[in-house]
Amino acid sequence: MKSVGELLRPAIGSVRRRGKPGPLLREVPAIRSALRVVLPITLLVVWYYLTRNQGEDPRVATPPGVVRAFGELWASGDLLIGTLISFQHVMFSFVLAAVSGTAVGMLMGYFRAVDHWLGPLVHSLRPIAPYAWIPMAILWFGIGDAAAMFVITYAAVFPIIVNVTAGVHSIDRNLIDAARVLGASQWMTLRRIVFPGALPGITVGLRLAMGMAWIAVVAAELATGNAGGRGATGGLGQMMFIFYAYEINLNYIVVCIIVVALMALASDRIMQRLQRRLAPWQADGR
Amino acid sequence: MSARIAPVWFYFRTIAVVLLVWWLVSVLLGRPYLLPGPVAVGTEALELASSGELFNALVVSGERLLGAYSLAVAVGVPLGIAMGRIWFVNDLFDWLIEMVRPISGIAWIPILLVVFGISNAIPISIIFIAAVFPIVLNSQAGARTVEPNLLGAAEVLGASRLRKVFQVIIPAALPSIITGARIAFSVSWMALIVAELVGAPNGVGYAIGFAQELGRATLVLAWIVYIGIFGYLIDVALRRVQTMLTPWAAGLKVGGTT
Repeated sequence: MKSVGELLRPAIGSVRRRGKPGPLLREVPAIRSALRVVLPITLLVVWYYLTRNQGEDPRVATPPGVVRAFGELWASGDLLIGTLISFQHVMFSFVLAAVSGTAVGMLMGYFRAVDHWLGPLVHSLRPIAPYAWIPMAILWFGIGDAAAMFVITYAAVFPIIVNVTAGVHSIDRNLIDAARVLGASQWMTLRRIVFPGALPGITVGLRLAMGMAWIAVVAAELATGNAGGRGATGGLGQMMFIFYAYEINLNYIVVCIIVVALMALASDRIMQRLQRRLAPWQADGR
Repeated sequence: MSARIAPVWFYFRTIAVVLLVWWLVSVLLGRPYLLPGPVAVGTEALELASSGELFNALVVSGERLLGAYSLAVAVGVPLGIAMGRIWFVNDLFDWLIEMVRPISGIAWIPILLVVFGISNAIPISIIFIAAVFPIVLNSQAGARTVEPNLLGAAEVLGASRLRKVFQVIIPAALPSIITGARIAFSVSWMALIVAELVGAPNGVGYAIGFAQELGRATLVLAWIVYIGIFGYLIDVALRRVQTMLTPWAAGLKVGGTT
């Protein structure tokens, strides 16, 4: 039986074509690009005009002030150091989360017993907001790198475990059975069937985890900063804390935020590439 | 053993082992200010509940969470649907959103601290910023994928523009909208904790930070237990709501955008 849509298709077509002749406005690329920059530029101009007489007030950020702040932070080297430290926090935690999360996720997906034993633990820890651990991390590790990385790893590991497990579950069971029947060992099955089969899930999990890590790094460095006062050596989040609590300067804070956002964006693009390369058959567009 | 009982039994089995290991480690370590045992934490948790402290903090945090989240839904869903269906609305907001979105809600905290100081405005703005993007993007994706034939059919049958929005576009986009709303809520919950930890004078996040300043690990862990329980309950409730509102989408795979 034909669907309503199919029955009505000729009529629908005639309605669609009823439009005016010539290229439609939405088919002119120049108009579309112009529209896209309207709001960002308008907001920038409004920001400039609203703040143009308050250039001296450190509690107000101005567009020229932000550019100047970027130059100053770059010249002093603080920006570079802070960025590198934050990058280091993120990368260390990400690798730790990626290795442990992929291993746990694969074992939980493949061995039912592991799922039955570890699953409840994972599902109990996962709903705890990672930032709730910040106070505990400070008590355990003191103020500094270890506490920050604990929180970032905690934030990054659960998206990986969940997506890897789902990736393993999506593998055609027959493939695994065939490998086992043909004499592959558990280890070989895991390596040759389960791992490649779970790659789409793994890459999705890794990409989400990278996003979580760049969000968590700010929170972790910011909050461990409450008693830190380590300046740029505590990362960008710590620098923001200093510019809020000690040397109040909103322009500097805005620079740090922009750098964090750019780092997060660049990492996401790299993860997207990785996703397309490792699992091209299931990479999503965004 | 029936399939229904099995998971509950597995759950208690694992938790029992974890509690046992936790208790052993805490006893062997012998430093209750670093790692108090499960009994001490449990007692503290009960104390929090019976003294009303838990209830008060939850009311404060819950009000902020619901208020800011509702605002994000009220702004995000109409904007997302308009972006999904109207090309110039899409173009107008597309780049702005892509420019602002990489800045996580949490990264706004220091700016807002300078502007507002420690106040109620911090958690509310942070939650709004964190929640609005998943809602907009998923509503947009949902509105975009409405079957064109359905819209055409509605048009041919004489449906007004408003009717098309409410009777075709919104129902068709609902699974995606709800997925976005669910993602946004769990993101909000995390944003709430960190926003209160750093920039609010009360609430659950503040309470846990205050417990750390007092150096009371027992109290910190008791709060963590509650934060886990409520995070879990929120997730279960949202899944329930999702299957209730869009039962037809249960088998459908709706990929969410965070």
